[in-house]
Amino acid sequence: MIKKVQKLAREYFQSGKVEIIYGLKKHNNKVVPSVFNKEDELKDLVISAKEPLLNICRPSKKNIIRLIEEKYPEAKIGMVVRGCDERILIELSKRKQIKLDNIELIGVACNKEDAIACNCPKPYPVHLDIGTKVDGVIEDKKNKELLNKKLSERLSFWQYQFSKCIKCYGCRNACPLCFCKDCAMEQQEWTKTGEIPPEIPMFHFIRFYHLADRCIDCGECEAACPVDIPLLTISKQIRNDIKDLFDYESGLDAEQESPLLTSLDEVPMKEGESK
Amino acid sequence: MIEYKNVLTVCPYCGCGCNFYLQVLDGNLVGVLPSKTDITSQGKLCIKGWNASDFVDNKDRLTKPLIKKEGKLVEISWDKALDIIVNKFKEYSPDEIAVLSSAKCTNEENYLMMKFARSILKTNNVDHCARLCHASTVVGLGKTFGSGAMTNSIREFENADCIFIIGSNTTEQHPLISRYVLRAKEKGARLIIADPRRIPLTRFADCHLRQRPGTDVALLNGMMNIILNEKIEDKNFIQNYTENFEELKAIVKKYTPHVVEKITGIPDNLLIKAARMYAEANSASLIYSMGITQHTTGVDNVVSCANLAMLTGNVGRESTGVNPLRGQNNVQGACDMGALPNVYSGYQSVSDENIKTKFEKAWNTELSVTPGLTIVEMLNQAETGNIKAMYIMGENPMLSDPDINHVEKSLKKLEFLVVQDIFLTETAQLADMVLPATSYAEKDGTFTATDRRVQRVRKAIEPIGNSKPDWQIICELAEKMGSDEFKYASPSKIMDEIAMVTPIYQGIDYNRIEDIGLQWPCLSKEHTGTPYLHKDKFSRGKGKFFGIEFKDAVELPDNEFPFVLTTGRTIFHYHTGTMTRRTASLNREVPEGYAEMNHKDAERLNISNGEKIYVSSRRGKIEVDVHVGEIVPEGIIFIPFHFSESPANMLTNPAFDPVAKIPELKVCAVKVEKIKI
Amino acid sequence: MFEPKILGFCCNWCAYAGADLAGINRNQYSTNIRIIRVMCSGTIDPLYIMKAFQNGIDGVFIGGCHIGDCHYQDGNHRAKKRVAVVKRMLGYLGLDPRRVRLEWVSAAEGQKFAKVINDFVAEIKEIGPNPLSRKK
Repeated sequence: MIKKVQKLAREYFQSGKVEIIYGLKKHNNKVVPSVFNKEDELKDLVISAKEPLLNICRPSKKNIIRLIEEKYPEAKIGMVVRGCDERILIELSKRKQIKLDNIELIGVACNKEDAIACNCPKPYPVHLDIGTKVDGVIEDKKNKELLNKKLSERLSFWQYQFSKCIKCYGCRNACPLCFCKDCAMEQQEWTKTGEIPPEIPMFHFIRFYHLADRCIDCGECEAACPVDIPLLTISKQIRNDIKDLFDYESGLDAEQESPLLTSLDEVPMKEGESK
Repeated sequence: MIEYKNVLTVCPYCGCGCNFYLQVLDGNLVGVLPSKTDITSQGKLCIKGWNASDFVDNKDRLTKPLIKKEGKLVEISWDKALDIIVNKFKEYSPDEIAVLSSAKCTNEENYLMMKFARSILKTNNVDHCARLCHASTVVGLGKTFGSGAMTNSIREFENADCIFIIGSNTTEQHPLISRYVLRAKEKGARLIIADPRRIPLTRFADCHLRQRPGTDVALLNGMMNIILNEKIEDKNFIQNYTENFEELKAIVKKYTPHVVEKITGIPDNLLIKAARMYAEANSASLIYSMGITQHTTGVDNVVSCANLAMLTGNVGRESTGVNPLRGQNNVQGACDMGALPNVYSGYQSVSDENIKTKFEKAWNTELSVTPGLTIVEMLNQAETGNIKAMYIMGENPMLSDPDINHVEKSLKKLEFLVVQDIFLTETAQLADMVLPATSYAEKDGTFTATDRRVQRVRKAIEPIGNSKPDWQIICELAEKMGSDEFKYASPSKIMDEIAMVTPIYQGIDYNRIEDIGLQWPCLSKEHTGTPYLHKDKFSRGKGKFFGIEFKDAVELPDNEFPFVLTTGRTIFHYHTGTMTRRTASLNREVPEGYAEMNHKDAERLNISNGEKIYVSSRRGKIEVDVHVGEIVPEGIIFIPFHFSESPANMLTNPAFDPVAKIPELKVCAVKVEKIKI
Repeated sequence: MFEPKILGFCCNWCAYAGADLAGINRNQYSTNIRIIRVMCSGTIDPLYIMKAFQNGIDGVFIGGCHIGDCHYQDGNHRAKKRVAVVKRMLGYLGLDPRRVRLEWVSAAEGQKFAKVINDFVAEIKEIGPNPLSRKK
């Protein structure tokens, strides 16, 4: 399938549709994001699970595509997107963090092994060019286990998990949608600084709440956590809750507004929840 | 054309040796991307690693050489600067000049620095900050095992079934190593921690021993006494792989749990629990760090750790061993490269005639067999006027060495001081000449991580301003001093020379470590590196036991100075703060220095949390904010040494271990006073 | 006897005025609550709620205008949605979601205010003290 992707990418180059292609490159057994300037570089283009394309670069808090857009506003960029990449672009576009006009998407569906490796609920983009849609991982075992526990057991579980935290901010740094320059997790007003473990669960709550309507389930937060806190289960649960409360799914439609930034008339809520 | 690249390099902070990518867009550093395939970090980093690109283009970076004129540092060209240095160096005899190499610089640079000192300046007065941290390890493990390095690999901790951490705040010092400790714990391993403070890992410990600072020999002898008493030692191992057991047995007999409780303050039942846990495990790993090494009995402490491991057969197998965690990103490498007064690279002795001949041939020069001075000795002799000139690369003794007032006096007494660094550190401010060097992101080379893995550091961006890589500066100096032996086209060629003269690095070249680093000993081009040492036999043949008697620290609390000061680190800053205090995220977490005090002591002295207090010792006085809590026990004050406005080392004691010459940074006597308005 | 500490955020135009009215009419309500006046229930950042719990508060009460009556059109819409999300999150993390209560109380509903507060305090007494406030 990767050959088809490379072929399509070459066609885009040849037709002048794009000036560069942004995608994953394999070099020496390592997979990294890369800017392909020429056709013959495309032989190293790959699709892979668990390798991010749109990480936020610090300290500018912009991802590579945005940095390129800002430096070269007229550039025509082609991007090989998996399901997660497309969702990230849509959410960023909603919040004016990226311009989608000059980006040509090459949508690629991930295969079943990759979907399971990433625990992905929707391993294909809406704009799909190559590959067949496979079912994602709908039910999450860890999540189910936790929901079956008593309230106090769940609390002990999360207190233990968060007590391992070393405040690396990896979860936030790796998140493709954490682009705020003044991050609330770093403000003394919300949570004490300079201590490990940080306040439990306030420190992590800040990020989860701020991402409640944004998270697209890419799993980079959990991949970046040095102490193996099961962050993805919380993200998945919040996404389920948002879907349940507002019938809203992040990353689908760049025109769709977030439920938390709108009134009840614009995006209504399921009844009987607040009390 | 839009140029974007990911440059795989090694983190410049601690000895974990995490690899990550520096993201470079059109020649500018834009960010850090973890590497999911990296062996140690597996795509994870600590807060310092994530911010490792921030300080590189900070506005304070030194961009031009500087010379001191009328008390101020003014800019000067490279040519003029090097000429002046060369002429000045020629004025001094080998006994009058001393060189400090850098545990932050690459292996190639450390090798060149010691080659420069020995072959050009003709002096063996070469040392670096390992003297302040693991000099006791090199001596202690050298005499018990034959090799002074971490015996096992970082990843192996995950599969140990007992981990004994003594004198290491692993979570804050080596975060990615504590990851494997936690993983082992989640798999069912037992965790024993010996530390006076309630460090973060004690939350997960099965057994926390809070010993009085400086009483580690008694603690370890006590554990060995219990093990022998209960007959749970590894008799097979002792008989077949060790020697001198009788000496150990005789000494350890006296250290009953009751006696040890009197010395250390550890309740006897707790000590028995810990001893049993360690001895009865199949694979027990011992991890130690500054709490063991930075004492006047540092070597004794290390030897006692080695004794304990040998007694229970926990050396020479996977997931066991005695594991000193090296602090700096390349302190292991700096030691390996012989930036030490008594050895060449590969720990080959300076006083050995055969070794001398080998290096004389390789370097085409004459060399001396007399070992040189260590850091503390250099500074003492600078004060008396014997040492007249110093060349310091990438070190900041004005904040990292004990008794800062004395350091300042000694450095100011020097006739000629050259400092080569990336920022104008406290030490550089005292220099006669300052040379701007490049950071890790602007040069090629290798770092050796704490588990002996030699890894590639790669150039991501061009040098900032007119700074030059340290190896280039040393080569240019050498050439100007008349040598032909410093012509290297690239750092790769320097490594080739290192491999030729250093048996443990013999099989290492840039091609072989292009993908993954190799762990020394790597004895040939086919050898794939050594994950753990002393398999089947020790480096010296048989492991040697030594019976060690307990000796207290030299400056104990008394009526005038009733508290014990112990120093250490916080996860958010690194060493003298040269890089971390120029990083916004880290400063936001911990903007200024502090002292930790137990709440009972604070109550007694009527001191409240957050108040500014004076802490003073016989050597100096500092003003610092106090954090009142339960981390330190009563009678102890803890101050991290990263902060120049409240430098812990103003107070510390330069008394040192007689063999390793490592200062007693972990114990001295202080008093605390409220500041009267 | 467990005496819960409740923190109340009351909107200036309705709920706070309602609380005032309760006072004027001598409608007794529990002294366990400390009230903070805010301009609109929509200004309550959910992080305040979590921070209150982090600091040991046993229950958080938010009082706003009835839907359709908000002085700022749809501020209370936001409050309703956010509180719903926060309750779900708290529940998942192991804190009882009943510890957060959102009520619409108009300026004329003094008696309702007192009743609602008393109900809430009784419920919190039943649920028990905030598990986060226990020292580890």
